Amino acid sequence: MMLTPLEKRAARKERNKQQLDLNLVSLIDIFTILIFFLLSSASEVETLPSFKSVKLPESTADTHPRETIVVTISGAEIIVDGRKVADVADVMRASDDVIAPLKAELELLSKRQVIREKNQASKAAITIMGDKDIPYRLLRKVMVTSARANFTDVSFAVRQRFET
Amino acid sequence: MRVRRLRKEVAALEVTAFINLIVVLVPFLLSTAVFTRLAVMDLTLPAQSNNKLEQLKGNDLKLEVVIRPESLEVGDRIGGLIQRIDKKDGHHDVKALNTLMQAVKQKFPETRTATVLSEPDTSYEVLVQVMDAVRAGRSSNGGPKLVRVELFPDVSVGDAPIRTKGNAS
Repeated sequence: MMLTPLEKRAARKERNKQQLDLNLVSLIDIFTILIFFLLSSASEVETLPSFKSVKLPESTADTHPRETIVVTISGAEIIVDGRKVADVADVMRASDDVIAPLKAELELLSKRQVIREKNQASKAAITIMGDKDIPYRLLRKVMVTSARANFTDVSFAVRQRFET
Repeated sequence: MRVRRLRKEVAALEVTAFINLIVVLVPFLLSTAVFTRLAVMDLTLPAQSNNKLEQLKGNDLKLEVVIRPESLEVGDRIGGLIQRIDKKDGHHDVKALNTLMQAVKQKFPETRTATVLSEPDTSYEVLVQVMDAVRAGRSSNGGPKLVRVELFPDVSVGDAPIRTKGNAS
């Protein structure tokens, strides 16, 4: 079989073609492992919102957060379920133990109908996410207020620390 | 006559699509990943209704940890002060508190409740650390391995009694 010069050239080119050989096996390995790790860690449902301004204290507690009403106390304001209800400065100035706007908000939330039977227990539960630098005086006011608003099951949100 | 040799093709995996997918997925998942796990710490608020019943049992331990600005005072509500733990290097000595709690727990294995009393200016972080030390600890129990032991998991929080002259000395 005779080849025309053009075909010869094509054949030579084909023969001499350097295989571009990127060794991607290890990269793919790493990425695959990373993906599985990240997927498994992402599947954990976050029940607590996170705020940049709130630095939670560390603790060894390992109870999982439940879905409750969350009161966030940052350095400047008090937030209930994402809505700001009071300024910390105002609260600290007041001598009264009960924070009126917080109480009003909590009472409003407690009036909500609980549809499902199994959620009945969580009606009195409240989670306090406090910045680690807030004084006990402020925390106490929030706890007193939530107790007045019939939220008696108080829990503190903390950042989990693993003991070494 | 030319010998026709079977040209052996180099096996090539077509992984471009896969790599594309991974390259997109990894930054996305990395950006959403949370590396700090959150937990909650349950508080046991003292029940107000059965106060009278509780007072009848006089022999019971009513453990109280009072956080003072310069020390931690561990005491029994009935028996008085057990030990005062001074600050170490400017921090409350939670380790010593934890050791003491383990000793107390060995004396009263049945007790599960404790009260942490803090002064108005105590920071939340200190309160949580002290609660941590009261709730659980790690002890070796003679063995080489540290085991997590539950101490007084039902912690409630209250106000520190205002210090009197006699108490302070």
